[in-house]
Amino acid sequence: MNEEFDVIIIGGGITGAGTARDCAMRGLKVLLIERNDIADGATGRNHGLLHSGARYAVTDRESATECIEENMILRKIARHCVDETDGFFITLPEDDLAYQAKFVESCRAAGIRADIVDPKEAIALEPSVNPDLIGAVRVPDGSVDPFRLCSSNIMDAKLHGAKVLLYTEVTAFIIEQGVVKGVTVLDHKNGGRAEYRASVTVNAAGIWGHNIAALAGVNVGMFPAKGALLIFAHRVNGIVINRCRKPANADILVPGDTVCVIGTTSTRVPFEECDHMQVTPEEVDILLTEGAKLAPSLSHTRILRAYAGVRPLVSADNDPTGRNISRGIVCLDHETRDGLKGFITITGGKLMTYRLMAEQATDLVCRKLGVDKHCETAFTPLPGSEGGNLEEVSKSLWSNPLTLHKALVGRTGTRAAKVSLQQKEDQALVCECEEVTVGEVKAAVERLDVHNLVDLRRRTRVGMGTCQGGLCALRAAGILGEAQKCTAKAKDDLRQFLRERWKGMYPIAWGDTLRECEYMEWVYTQVLGLQKKEVK
Amino acid sequence: MTLQELTSSAHNFEECMKCTVCTAYCPVVPVNPRYPGPKQAGPDGERLRLKHPFFFDEALKYCLNCKRCEVACPSGVKVADIIQSARLKYSRQKPKLRDRMLASTDLMGSLASPFAPIVNPVLGLGVTKSILDGMMGIDRHRTFPKYASRTFESWFRRKASAAQAAFPRSVAYFHGCYVNYNFPDLGKDFVRVMNALGYGVRLLEKEQCCGVAMISNGMASAARKHASHNGKVLGKAASEGLKILTTSSTCTFTMRDEYGELLGIDTASYRDSLLMATRFIFSLVDSGTATLVFKPGYKARIAYHTPCHLEKLGWGVFSTSLLKMIPGVEFTMLGSNCCGIAGTYGFKKENYEASQAIGKPLFDEIKAVAPDFVACDCETCKWQIEMSAGIPVKNPVSILAEALDLEKTAEANRNA
Amino acid sequence: MKYDIIIIGGGLSGLTAGLRLQKAGRKTAIISAGQNALHFASGSFSVLGDGVTLPEEHPYRRLPMERYLDEVKPFFAEAGILLGGDPHVNGWRLTPSGSFLQGRFSLEETRLFSTPGELSARKALIVNIPGFLDFNTAFLADGLAQRGIETRIGNLDVEDLTRLRTSPSEMRSVNIARVADTVPHKIIGGVKALLSDEDLVILPQVFGIHDGTIPAQIAAEIPAGVLFVGTMPPSVPGIRTQMKLKRAYESSGGTFLMGDEAVAPVMDTTRVKALRTVNLGEHLLQADQYVLATGSFFSKGLASSMQKVYEPLFGLDVRFPEERTDWYDLDFFAPQAFGGFGVVTDGTFRAVKDGNVIENLYAAGSVLAGCYSQQLGCGGGIAILTAFAVADNILEAARR
Repeated sequence: MNEEFDVIIIGGGITGAGTARDCAMRGLKVLLIERNDIADGATGRNHGLLHSGARYAVTDRESATECIEENMILRKIARHCVDETDGFFITLPEDDLAYQAKFVESCRAAGIRADIVDPKEAIALEPSVNPDLIGAVRVPDGSVDPFRLCSSNIMDAKLHGAKVLLYTEVTAFIIEQGVVKGVTVLDHKNGGRAEYRASVTVNAAGIWGHNIAALAGVNVGMFPAKGALLIFAHRVNGIVINRCRKPANADILVPGDTVCVIGTTSTRVPFEECDHMQVTPEEVDILLTEGAKLAPSLSHTRILRAYAGVRPLVSADNDPTGRNISRGIVCLDHETRDGLKGFITITGGKLMTYRLMAEQATDLVCRKLGVDKHCETAFTPLPGSEGGNLEEVSKSLWSNPLTLHKALVGRTGTRAAKVSLQQKEDQALVCECEEVTVGEVKAAVERLDVHNLVDLRRRTRVGMGTCQGGLCALRAAGILGEAQKCTAKAKDDLRQFLRERWKGMYPIAWGDTLRECEYMEWVYTQVLGLQKKEVK
Repeated sequence: MTLQELTSSAHNFEECMKCTVCTAYCPVVPVNPRYPGPKQAGPDGERLRLKHPFFFDEALKYCLNCKRCEVACPSGVKVADIIQSARLKYSRQKPKLRDRMLASTDLMGSLASPFAPIVNPVLGLGVTKSILDGMMGIDRHRTFPKYASRTFESWFRRKASAAQAAFPRSVAYFHGCYVNYNFPDLGKDFVRVMNALGYGVRLLEKEQCCGVAMISNGMASAARKHASHNGKVLGKAASEGLKILTTSSTCTFTMRDEYGELLGIDTASYRDSLLMATRFIFSLVDSGTATLVFKPGYKARIAYHTPCHLEKLGWGVFSTSLLKMIPGVEFTMLGSNCCGIAGTYGFKKENYEASQAIGKPLFDEIKAVAPDFVACDCETCKWQIEMSAGIPVKNPVSILAEALDLEKTAEANRNA
Repeated sequence: MKYDIIIIGGGLSGLTAGLRLQKAGRKTAIISAGQNALHFASGSFSVLGDGVTLPEEHPYRRLPMERYLDEVKPFFAEAGILLGGDPHVNGWRLTPSGSFLQGRFSLEETRLFSTPGELSARKALIVNIPGFLDFNTAFLADGLAQRGIETRIGNLDVEDLTRLRTSPSEMRSVNIARVADTVPHKIIGGVKALLSDEDLVILPQVFGIHDGTIPAQIAAEIPAGVLFVGTMPPSVPGIRTQMKLKRAYESSGGTFLMGDEAVAPVMDTTRVKALRTVNLGEHLLQADQYVLATGSFFSKGLASSMQKVYEPLFGLDVRFPEERTDWYDLDFFAPQAFGGFGVVTDGTFRAVKDGNVIENLYAAGSVLAGCYSQQLGCGGGIAILTAFAVADNILEAARR
């Protein structure tokens, strides 16, 4: 296959998805290539915090300003992905209360609303907060669902003509006379190889961008920093809780969808580990100890999962030791930097600033292509976010919405209208914890590039609830198998899905999680009779 | 500390393993597909409601609050408490006039009792039933329990009260609306039995309806008012060292457990002093403090039905142990099934069919056993079983009053 | 309240022990905090997989295995539960994923084959109940296809079930049974209408929640071989078995305290004196002997925290490795070490606390150390046979 594109984007995380959308909206012919599934890297492994920027206000004014600007934009363009919870920065007795004044001043200077709240009032507003707090500042933090955000960007890119290849790995660059002309790829689904050509190729592969750059023969000095997090079984807090001090371990508790997330740790790890992150018992201990300082009830709240992501840290270009880490956006034009034409790397940054990163990368792509189109992503809503709030959208679609309708709207916004729920069979729940229906699963399988059950989870929250797939995995496997007309694959998918769920459960396998593990093992291996089999 | 106390979630909702056992014991699920089922309405729904109150579903009103899900749950999740709390907290539907009427058992009783000779026949008239059915939504198959022309309280004041001081020991009695307005005979039986055991009976200072029907009809503030009043009255009696006894499992359960779990009332002052009469009597006998002398010729074939709330309390064993002590009783334990009435639930036209379908396995079993009568500690089960199985139902305290040689019992306990 | 023996736990093991003791004329009570693992039964009780080696601490090493195996079927038959299978030879059960697993005693509608190859058919009709997602007919068809059996999936549409389907969540095995049991003739009619040239019909185990003869009634009316295959939980045959055992226990005079929980034992270093329960409060339960049949982690017979695994009621000695990372394997499908955790007992299954044998406290079922039920395929046997052993040891001790 030899197809010509204007731009090839490598990486299906939020940066690649956002860049694909922006490029496609500016009329470019776009190809996005992702080695695994969308949101598989750092995009899907963070807090899901809609930063106000307050966290960076004291240490990094530029990042803070970027955050608050993007924060306000995402509330408008991605409202079905965003929960406007607000956030507290609390001061505990062991913290220096003097820091609060500096913090508030810095926030305001960066354009971030920051109101000092009396500790008693803070407790009334957020009953889970550590009652020993001596200070609280309220800022416009929130939560954002990164899977939904990524998936919506991909969807919109496709609606604007982009082509998306998942489970497709770039194996080499086609470089002719010092110009990147395209890539050769390996399709992991069928083992096929192909070539794709474009005028510009964008490396948006997060931490894996280090290797992608090396494949093109250039060096981007990246350093993987592992961050571990814990998911709790329900929303303990309604308002984001941060510590009002210099950023440290496990100092943010974010309520996201039906759960809440504490994180993170920060450890440098070797590149080889990036594909096999494991949360250690020490990390779990740190997260729980520190987390309980934000909200004491965390110490006896059920933990659902432990997981870890890798931040793509980039060292400043003039510092080969990597000690001077930039947290800001890094947009490299390899033509000016390395003399390699037609190749751009967009990295650094954070989930919050993905849109700005995409805008900068797309501006550069357009300059190279001589295209004069302005960026419109700052005010064009993502698919699903065109309507009102949860209640308004639900009532506009159903006169008497059931819980399953509301949950669907919560996940898909106005796109809920595209899910068929007319038949009783389609209303049946697959995942009861998260209220995901047969209709929604079918729609995801048909339209959202679902290759396996783990992909389905990222798009629908199937298996993300309390039982971690114990109840729904077989049901979902059945529907997927039927849609893909391959039962043998569905059985393998089911095994892989259970293994993947297990990976997040064993680091916290005590208490209720151990109970759930024992139950899950019994039901799937002994009742259903699914046995270990080596998966090719 | 029990395992369940280690959780931080309200009513243990996050201990749920999603094992679905609760759904297998829910009596509503197979008869009413509009009810989301205990797991969905309870622990599953709670996570969503915590995210946003908009996720509340008015279909939670189909829950009978029978607590069978809680008794069955292997994880200690208080499923029905989660559901009822959510109703009280989030429901925006105002109770209908009919629901408010049905729920205000003491108000209705105090209005009707003085006119019982008129009210009873009128309520029994076909034309009245048609009107209630058509205009009010009270099912025409239902017969209202008859109102007594003299309330229990008034009988007690005139006929019994004076004699009570003569007994060396005392208990307090929460008689409830049913005994007061509909069936004073049960209260009279209770007084006779307690007297025979050497206990004088005192009434509480102005008890009010326990409010169970207000809770189930979503009348949160009225229920709280009653609960807070009764809490004080019960607390006062308990502080005087009195045990407060009852003859209704539902009133007991409501005041003992639901006040705290659902209405946020502090029950610590009286919770351990509030007992079913059968539990109190059993402990007297079991500890050798009191003796029961039965009539030699008493014979009865009795089938015992455990009301849902008594099953939840786990106190059925006291009633059944007492009944089994009666020589001449042939005892059958009926299977664990809900009768379907669930207080005011079964009276509502929209629930009639479901109500009867829920109770069918129980009615069938009773008909198959064909006992002389059914023993049961709940007045609403009594109405339902008598109407649907056609076999009379008696409270264990009344059965005791019937089976005991009260004079000899009194004598035995005087000498003790 | 005074009993001869109090059993904590109302699952398969507790009920078996209780029933055996009642039959021997003892006055017993069972405290059952919620329902139990029978609700997730697979359709057959496993005793021990072929070719596995028993670990040294395995409970089977302390009981007369062969004799007890002969007693299982008559024991359950007295409770109205007719088990199938050869007590001494494993059979094979067709699982809902289309594979075969070993089992020893089958519940009424489950069939055990002497070898997987014994299941032979030219063509099978797999009956699908639309909207019932816990029985994957395609998985089954795939499994049968691998054995060279041609299959066809047919949709059984019965109006009574259509009504149930209105609920998005309650199309579950037990609810289907509760509805289908009222109209078995419609089920039979529906299946017959689907049948064409197939010589085997496969139905999910969703019939006869109270009455175990209903599956057989259905099978008798269908002009082809009929095989009932298990579903995802809850298990209809499992719940029926639980209800029948409980009935038999209560009919034999036993007291079953449903939904109550033992919380505070009164004991000294060698004896349990009484138990306090949540519901009975100051009415302590007293007995000469006590049986702990509380199950493993799911049933809360064992509990765990970040630091330790423990027995939550008596604080009995529990065997487990110190490092949390040694509790589990990284692969979900590998044998899990926690399957062997449990309470330490002596040669007669008397429990041990702080190194001392508690003279009147016995442990039965999966709360015992060294079971590895899932790994060794011995879950049913552990529950039943150790309950036999504990009951007999109690009776024996009384004789001495």
